Amino acid sequence: MNVNKRQEYRTLFKQNVERRLFVDKIVRLIVISCVMIAIIPLGSILVEVFKNGLAAISIEFLTEVPGSIGSGEGGIGPAIQGTLIVIGMASMIGVPIGVLSGIFLSEFGDNRLAKSVRFFNDVFMEFPSILLGIFAFLVIVLVLGHFSVWAGAFALALIMFPIVARTTEESLKMVPVTYREAGMALGLRHWVVTVRIVLAAAKNGMVTGVLLSVARIGGETAPLIMTILGSSLFFSNFDTPMDALPLRIWRLSLLPYDSAQMQGWGAALVLILIILAINIGVRTLVLNKDDTYRFGKMIKEKIGGIK
Amino acid sequence: MATKPDTIETQISSTKDIPTVEDKFKMIAENVTISYGDKPAVKDVTIKFKEKSVTALIGPSGCGKTTFLRCLNRMHDMTKNAKVEGKVMIDGIDLYSKEIDPIYHRRKVGMVFQKPNPFPTMSIFDNVTAGLRLNGVRDKKILNEIVEDTLKMAYLWDEVKDDLKKPAVELSGGQQQRLCIARALAIQPEVLLMDEPASALDPIATQKIEETITELKKEFTIIIVTHNMQQAVRVSDYTGFMYLGDLIEFRETKKLFTDPKNELTAKYVQGQFG
Amino acid sequence: MARLIDPSLEKLSRIMSEMGDMAIECISLAVDSYLEGKNTSDQVYELSDSIRNKYFEVEDLIFDMLLKYQPVADDFRMIRSSTEISYAFSRFGRYAYDITQVRDLFGDISDCVNTSLFEISKKVKDMIKEAVLSFAELDVRRAVKIQEDEAFIDKIYNERLAKLIESDNTKCALAEALLLRYLERIGDHAVFMSDAINYIVTGKHKPSEKRIKSHTKLSSQENDIG
Repeated sequence: MNVNKRQEYRTLFKQNVERRLFVDKIVRLIVISCVMIAIIPLGSILVEVFKNGLAAISIEFLTEVPGSIGSGEGGIGPAIQGTLIVIGMASMIGVPIGVLSGIFLSEFGDNRLAKSVRFFNDVFMEFPSILLGIFAFLVIVLVLGHFSVWAGAFALALIMFPIVARTTEESLKMVPVTYREAGMALGLRHWVVTVRIVLAAAKNGMVTGVLLSVARIGGETAPLIMTILGSSLFFSNFDTPMDALPLRIWRLSLLPYDSAQMQGWGAALVLILIILAINIGVRTLVLNKDDTYRFGKMIKEKIGGIK
Repeated sequence: MATKPDTIETQISSTKDIPTVEDKFKMIAENVTISYGDKPAVKDVTIKFKEKSVTALIGPSGCGKTTFLRCLNRMHDMTKNAKVEGKVMIDGIDLYSKEIDPIYHRRKVGMVFQKPNPFPTMSIFDNVTAGLRLNGVRDKKILNEIVEDTLKMAYLWDEVKDDLKKPAVELSGGQQQRLCIARALAIQPEVLLMDEPASALDPIATQKIEETITELKKEFTIIIVTHNMQQAVRVSDYTGFMYLGDLIEFRETKKLFTDPKNELTAKYVQGQFG
Repeated sequence: MARLIDPSLEKLSRIMSEMGDMAIECISLAVDSYLEGKNTSDQVYELSDSIRNKYFEVEDLIFDMLLKYQPVADDFRMIRSSTEISYAFSRFGRYAYDITQVRDLFGDISDCVNTSLFEISKKVKDMIKEAVLSFAELDVRRAVKIQEDEAFIDKIYNERLAKLIESDNTKCALAEALLLRYLERIGDHAVFMSDAINYIVTGKHKPSEKRIKSHTKLSSQENDIG
């Protein structure tokens, strides 16, 4: 290929570059506008909730039982308590089962059994939550004869564990094989390698998965209708119906009174804040060592000017 | 250039000079055949590794040298479809026999991998002691002693001794690899396997690794897979050349590189392969 | 596919073969200077000088290859032996020059030539040719002939030296003594060369070292005259 040809080709590229830069700018504009479009509804929801709900917040609101309908008095104390209890219980059931399934699928998941488990897991994830609520109703409420917190926790755990299983499996799979090999080469037993090395490395992804599922079940209403039913009293024991924030929001929103509406917004605000708090709290506690180390070092530098 | 007519001086000697009977062999791999499914990757290889020496395995990509190395500490237990036949003996005990716990075996035979792989969630100290702590060794005094000892052997102590709690991932590539060497040594193995330990490192880091190996061979038996022939010449006492799963030639390093008996070996080391 | 080292190896081969041809010519001319009384010292000087320059060139080339390519196996042995062989060629040139100096010093000594000297000179000329061919073809069989020739030269050398003391022609005796010495050294270097060639082909080191008479303690006793 002679020099002239090359020169010719070089001029070709120059033209292309100009056009490509232009296209690049256009695409960037499109992408940014899409992001804006996506954020706006999200932002406006948050703004609405804050705007309307802030007015309802007070100590009384947060701690008292609901007052008589339409009176505008009372609060959502039991609902807050109920949400926390039922989410906590569901997590205690759903997270271990989900994590263990995830470990099984990732570490031992090359056989036919694992393939079917994975398939059913994915299908399960897509189930409408109301179906799971009905299932819990049939299995627990009808059998025991009354609505209860057990039933609610069970239903929510059913929603929770497929998500946890999937995200755990994916997080574990993302840990490079070489760390497992290094662990095995040190003469460590397989489960030690899995738990102490692989799990530790996958922690961030797994925690995200768990938090996602917690956020999901925090807002589920339909399954709760058929299992814990709702109530106006504080928690007494596990065998009785219980209130929860989604239920309370639903009930309040159906009432024609302004005060009820305002309380509804307040409850929604509280729910969002609870989910947010859980997220931040768990992340701070469970962050992987190097992030904590770096964070700590940064603080030390800022305070003492020490390297 | 290699014309070798029948001359008065040419002897018909075996292409595999096995060291004399008086040499003590730490590890003997006998008739090892490794296949994935029905494709053999390593075909009937027998090598005797002299104790406190460095043996290098060279050969083009896909010749089976890494596959062979990994069977020496039963890493293929983790691979599906892999079938290993033959014996691998340390001090006379066959480590593939049914009675031997592979975990026990792996504590005698340490391994360092091609790409440095310190555990990402652990500090330098925790990484080095991982093999010990996760096996139940808790005595702080012993752990501290071992950490200092192995990091010194790996020529890393001076660089990290002031901050052992630093996350391992913050070290440079060469330092990470030396950390992995220290970690492998911490479990007090007798044989150390190294799979192209310097291939992912820059020349200065490589030099340090080679110095480490030269120092380590005073105490350990080392088997190293390398694609860098000059490294094999610098660092090893014996070299085995493998091609397409077969062991073509196994001799003292200097002899193999100055006067290889096999035509294929001569071609490979002189860069005359495809 | 050509390797990076191949052009250098070819260059080495070319220079060495040039040196070989020059060495043969050099020795021939030098021997003729006393056998036939010809004045060849200028020509021989030029050739010897050329050979010496080529020797330096070869040395540079060899170290350059070592630095750049870290050769192994056949390449390595070829290069290693080339130092010995090119040195041998340079010695041939030097001794050839020394021989012509004898003629310059003593004048025409063609009448001093006796059968032994004639035979030994012929042998040396043949030896050089054999050595150069042996290297060109990497033929180790020629080594046998070279060693036989060298043994012959040594025998004559020892015999003649003893007899020279009783000679009454001082000029011829001295001239012959010097010539024999140089010819014997040429023979030695030819053998070293054949060893080096042997090393290239078979990888065996210096098999003739012990057998070279001038290099063993025993022979130094034998060489004591008187």
